[in-house]
Amino acid sequence: MRYNSVYLVKRIGIALVTLYVAVTLNFLLPRLMKGDPASALASEKALGSQEVANALKAQFGLDNPSLWYQYAKYIKQLLHGNLGVSYANFPSPVADVMLKALPWTLGTVLTATLLSYLIGWLIGIRGAWKPGSLFDNSTLFSSFFLSSVPFFWIAIIFIMIFSFYLGWFPLGQAVDPAYDSFAWFDKAKSVLYHAFLPVFTLIIATLAGHILVLRNNLMRVLSEDYMLLAKAKGLRASRRKYMYGARNALLPSFTGLMTSLGHVIGGAITTEIVFSYPGVGMVTFNAILNHDFPLIQGSFLCIAISVIVCNLIADLVYPLIDPRVALN
Amino acid sequence: MKKMLKACWNAFPGVKGKLGLVILLFFTVIALFGTWVAPYPKNFIGFDSWLPPSVSHWLGTDSYGQDVLSQMIYGTRTSFWVGILAGLITTVIGVTVGIVAGFKGGWIEESLMRIVDLFLIIPTLALMIILASFLPSMGTMSTILIIGSLSWLYMGRSIRSQTMSERQSGYVEAARMVGMKDWEIMFKEILPNITPVILANLVLVTTQAVLAEAGLSFLGLGDPTNVSWGTILALANANNAVLFHAWWWILPPGLAIAFFCFGFILIGNGILEKYRANRGNAAL
Repeated sequence: MRYNSVYLVKRIGIALVTLYVAVTLNFLLPRLMKGDPASALASEKALGSQEVANALKAQFGLDNPSLWYQYAKYIKQLLHGNLGVSYANFPSPVADVMLKALPWTLGTVLTATLLSYLIGWLIGIRGAWKPGSLFDNSTLFSSFFLSSVPFFWIAIIFIMIFSFYLGWFPLGQAVDPAYDSFAWFDKAKSVLYHAFLPVFTLIIATLAGHILVLRNNLMRVLSEDYMLLAKAKGLRASRRKYMYGARNALLPSFTGLMTSLGHVIGGAITTEIVFSYPGVGMVTFNAILNHDFPLIQGSFLCIAISVIVCNLIADLVYPLIDPRVALN
Repeated sequence: MKKMLKACWNAFPGVKGKLGLVILLFFTVIALFGTWVAPYPKNFIGFDSWLPPSVSHWLGTDSYGQDVLSQMIYGTRTSFWVGILAGLITTVIGVTVGIVAGFKGGWIEESLMRIVDLFLIIPTLALMIILASFLPSMGTMSTILIIGSLSWLYMGRSIRSQTMSERQSGYVEAARMVGMKDWEIMFKEILPNITPVILANLVLVTTQAVLAEAGLSFLGLGDPTNVSWGTILALANANNAVLFHAWWWILPPGLAIAFFCFGFILIGNGILEKYRANRGNAAL
């Protein structure tokens, strides 16, 4: 299947514009709120070093009162991957701290999103096939309930039950304390073992939304003429249900899957705090506690960039699954 | 009076809507009269720590020696008002943007919807975090403003699509014929006709505001002098309530958030179902 070039250019264009807006917001919002950019990015007191503070001020143009000058400098530093220096992790650059945290968050969030989507799809199909049945009503009811609970509360409850009382899972952290001395197989095992409960939390917390969307989609598909035709042809129920209904209901919800990513990352931030999981959320939380302003800005940018990139990937994959998208 | 109450009761359609109303009334009463209901004063420290539930402390005490039930009741007031007020701000912005975009069409619609699409990609919580953490000091009012001003995107979209289908209706055409101004048609003609959709949206954004407040408080970005369901959970987590078997400190705030939002969602669903039954399919 060949890409329609208009579609391609448009999608990449949207991603770039969004990225630009995120970057600009990251520059403007702190200045609007606080008014003193120097204390946010290059505070001598917080850095504990006059030289580093002065160097940062020069790098980011904070020695010049012109906002445009500062903006140009900021963009330039950003293109070089310079996000400033973290106050609390001095002398680590913000970019280093973020790069270390990002894989943990992306790993758990993407795994959870895909699994949750799959499970939500299966449950949604079963419900929509017999609307009003006991199964349908009970999943609907619990979906409404689950979508009104904060992610981090589910996380605390899970840790209480599965880690503390049952002892099945660790109480937190991403790897075993003796991780560095492990062979690769034990390392992988340790990572999976520690990631299980955070991922499980994200799945349960996002499941409700997927069930509701997919159930609605399927209800619409089931009223299509080709479903009636399939029945008239005498096709087996399971074939109609999965090959005709479920397959067609899957497509329209694909874009929603990636749009929901921002929501999942938002939830992952608080979930990580509960599990002391060393991802972006934990970094953000510690940055807030320590008034580590460069790190807060860095984490905003990292979150925004990850979501934008994931959305772009989804946009590029979508036409491969459903060629109609790229045509119009 | 009796008639009015009955009309109010019937305004909430279906079993779901009525169940939602009952839940909501319960929280409203606590939010309004909490000061009289709470057994002990707000933030009062001085009991033993980690006391399990008993007759004098229905929900036990926390690690600071505060009565959890009293904190819950005062917390209800914060969460309730943040939800309601932030929800209202969101609704005003969302409805205005949606109706203007849907009615005006053309470049106004195009540019407004582009902005909405753009901001839908950037995670709202991340934006709220950066706004809240750079504010010189966080009060409950700033929480309300931050949540209210950032949560209207989905609503704007939904109201726009509803307005677009209303624009085709005969009464809009008639209003134009009579020579009504655009803003009159938008806010005096279309607005009343899409009230159920607005209400259903209002209910959704209110629950989202309650959840957002809990999230921000949990991240340490709430009003430090105030107590809300989110701050109670944040303290419970920070003080390892799990390790002290203090389920009475963990379960109530989460269940309160869940039931409060659940009530709203039930009402919203009831309203939408009735609207759909009356008018055919309504997009949300």
